[in-house]
Amino acid sequence: MSSSRVFGGSYRRALARALVDLGKDIENLVVLDADTMSSTGSLEFSRRFPERFVNVGISEQDLIGTAAGMAVAGLRPVAVAFSSFIMRAWEQIRNTISRDSLDVTIVGTHAGLSDYMDGSSHQALEDIALMRVLPGFTVAVPADEVATYALTRALIEESRGPSYMRIGRDNAPKVYERGEEFKIGECKVHEDGSDAVIMAIGPMVGAAMEVSRILGKRGLSVGVVDVYSIKPVDEHCIVKKAKDSGLVVTLEEHNVHAGLGGLVAEILSEKLPRRIYRIGVRDRFGTSARSYEELLRFMGLDPCSVAKSLTEVLSLGAKVC
Amino acid sequence: MNIRARLEEVSRKGFSWHIDSARSLVNILAALYGYWIPEGEARGVERVVILSKGHGSLALYATYEILGILPRGSIELEFLAAGSRLQSHPESGRLPGILVSSGSLGQGLSIANGIALAARISKRDIEVAVVLGDGELDEGQVWEAIATSSANRLGNVTMLIDRNGIQHSGPTEAVKAKEPLSLKLKAFNWHVVEVADDPASIASVLANIGRIRDLPKAVIVNTWQGAS
Repeated sequence: MSSSRVFGGSYRRALARALVDLGKDIENLVVLDADTMSSTGSLEFSRRFPERFVNVGISEQDLIGTAAGMAVAGLRPVAVAFSSFIMRAWEQIRNTISRDSLDVTIVGTHAGLSDYMDGSSHQALEDIALMRVLPGFTVAVPADEVATYALTRALIEESRGPSYMRIGRDNAPKVYERGEEFKIGECKVHEDGSDAVIMAIGPMVGAAMEVSRILGKRGLSVGVVDVYSIKPVDEHCIVKKAKDSGLVVTLEEHNVHAGLGGLVAEILSEKLPRRIYRIGVRDRFGTSARSYEELLRFMGLDPCSVAKSLTEVLSLGAKVC
Repeated sequence: MNIRARLEEVSRKGFSWHIDSARSLVNILAALYGYWIPEGEARGVERVVILSKGHGSLALYATYEILGILPRGSIELEFLAAGSRLQSHPESGRLPGILVSSGSLGQGLSIANGIALAARISKRDIEVAVVLGDGELDEGQVWEAIATSSANRLGNVTMLIDRNGIQHSGPTEAVKAKEPLSLKLKAFNWHVVEVADDPASIASVLANIGRIRDLPKAVIVNTWQGAS
């Protein structure tokens, strides 16, 4: 199966739908963006509810501060912008939103390798590390459109305190059926794997399922776990799946340091010391590419490359794809 | 006892953290807490103050003592004590009227804009006064927020600038010239007034500019301390 059929959905279209539906249901919901509405998916909300939308222009620090002020005044703000550029406001997020536990949801779009054309400046590969170290922050990474819609709702309707949701662009795999429910603080197990278990997030959940299929044809049992709730994380699920499997693998469109790989290593080192094979972006920046699939191949994160790395790690050496 | 006398009293006892920054705030806080907030209350207008230059906290805590929000002697008992209500930079939730934690400069005006926009959206009559230091104007975010106030015609935002002419590394004009400050703010489409450093004049200016509803307002208070 070619990669282009794996990643055919749109995270930002799902975000757009979720924000409009939430806008209908929640009277004090307000959305803010920093000049990027037509890219991020907040455009539909801005047109539908113009009186509840604020565009601060190309000013991400102001975006965060203004959202904070709205929360202080009792509204429920959602601040949307490109992940990379939200991070220029990391200090404001830390010192105002996190410190004061404000009910603000921050959505970082175009994360990971999804923004293949804009190159390394835009490809956010550190945002999970940066956000999960903030006290009291909920951090979620939906795998596909269904998860994006559901988690946007869950963060805004149920979650208390600040939250960060990381999504890609138009590179969503199809993982879940419509109506699937997502609870913050849990993970979802797609298959069990006695030889290996791939703990993945975002589009890499789709990649992991493809890897499992490829290796399954070679008689390997490879499980997949979607760790969509990075913080709070389902430690019990991670420990249980690690216990049931020969090799723990983490897979993310993020630096191999301090993201999902770091998180799983922290948990298992304490609860069930195991070898963990972390797959991600090996401490380097991205690059422009002509397609998402080309970029994944260049970075070794397409399903075929990941499958090959796993067979090497499992010392099999067989030609898998 | 008044605010200034109380501030000097604690300073003599050794509580002189950022004392110069606190001294230049005294009349501004007297006007805001002693006149502006109660005057609004009397007319059914909710008025809130954000101290963006949070390091001037001793002046705020002295003001709270004089107003009776804090018992006299609180500064000696609690200022800087671990986990206390009187953190070096005021933190929200620890004292009444502190809506947001401070300490990191340059953020207060964005927050004030957010409150003002929220008031407009929820059709509440809320006015926000945010107090900045002049050194704080170096932060780029302040100018992002200045543009936002103006773009959204936030007539319910008043920014008071404590123009004391000093910042941590020296005179403000030697580090990065803030002048021509009034001109800069007018260029951003703000209504700008300059006023002498006494509580009656500041209160009077605040009363006068209250009639301006369609532009954000800046009050530059001449608290000049710096050597030229």
